[in-house]
Amino acid sequence: MDHGAPIVHDVFGISWLDFNLSNVFMIIVTSLIVFVLSVLGARKLQMKPTGAQNVMEWILDFVKGIINDTMDWKTGKLFLPLALTLFTYILVGNMLGVITNGVYNGDVWWKSPTADPGITLTLAAMVILLSHFYGIKLRGGKEYIKDYFRPLPFLFPIKLIEEFANTLTLGLRLFGNLYAGEVLLALLVGLTTSGFWGFIGGAIPFLAWQGFSIFIGGIQAFIFTMLAMVYISHKVSEEH
Amino acid sequence: MGALAAAVAVGLAALGAGIGNGMIVSRTVEGIARQPELKGQLQTTMFIGVGLVEAMPIIAVVIALMVMGN
Repeated sequence: MDHGAPIVHDVFGISWLDFNLSNVFMIIVTSLIVFVLSVLGARKLQMKPTGAQNVMEWILDFVKGIINDTMDWKTGKLFLPLALTLFTYILVGNMLGVITNGVYNGDVWWKSPTADPGITLTLAAMVILLSHFYGIKLRGGKEYIKDYFRPLPFLFPIKLIEEFANTLTLGLRLFGNLYAGEVLLALLVGLTTSGFWGFIGGAIPFLAWQGFSIFIGGIQAFIFTMLAMVYISHKVSEEH
Repeated sequence: MGALAAAVAVGLAALGAGIGNGMIVSRTVEGIARQPELKGQLQTTMFIGVGLVEAMPIIAVVIALMVMGN
């Protein structure tokens, strides 16, 4: 909990550009794992799926169900790769921090990438920016502007604030869940390793909390993807 | 003072999350009792509701962890 972070300051001499090397490392690891799992799940495609292909098809059907819940499939099939990427990336990212936390030289190197507010807020901001981009692209600029004044024109300031509130809550929800889980995991590890009675008292809560963290990681990935699709559908679909 | 602030924040967050989640799940159980064939869909909506309602209490916990050391 009071571990430092390996931050490289003032990269290239720019005074506000710092990189947290642990974040860079974990993003690379997460991306590699998602890439390898996806490639392995999609080789040697057969008409009757078995094994890894079955799992990938299940994940794809699950994400397709999420998109179908929010918009019709004709518009929705454009967003299937986006939803699939978000879901698998956040799911794998959440799991990596539950398994272990790695500390080297007093700095935390191995943790969930999504337990950092910068990363989750970046994901949320990208989703909201994409929703605006696709709103303009799929419906035209005039319809996009007119949507701000539907259903009643005096709600315009509330609709503006809604964009910022959506970004903040989308990012901070994921960050808060993961960060609180990691802090409690660190506390429980401290209790379990602090002597005989600490081990007796802390072993079962530690196991229970790890299981709960895996559950919460899955739920948060699902909610992030579902809310991303809901926000995009608000901008893209006609019947609002 | 930091520990006191953290305790108040976490206590209120737990209260809010408990009441909110309790209302969601109780309505879901009622819905399932009325129409058992919608169990899967109601369960999915319940998880979405719980995730949404718990966002603010979780942020309160994060703030509590931030001020705990002061």
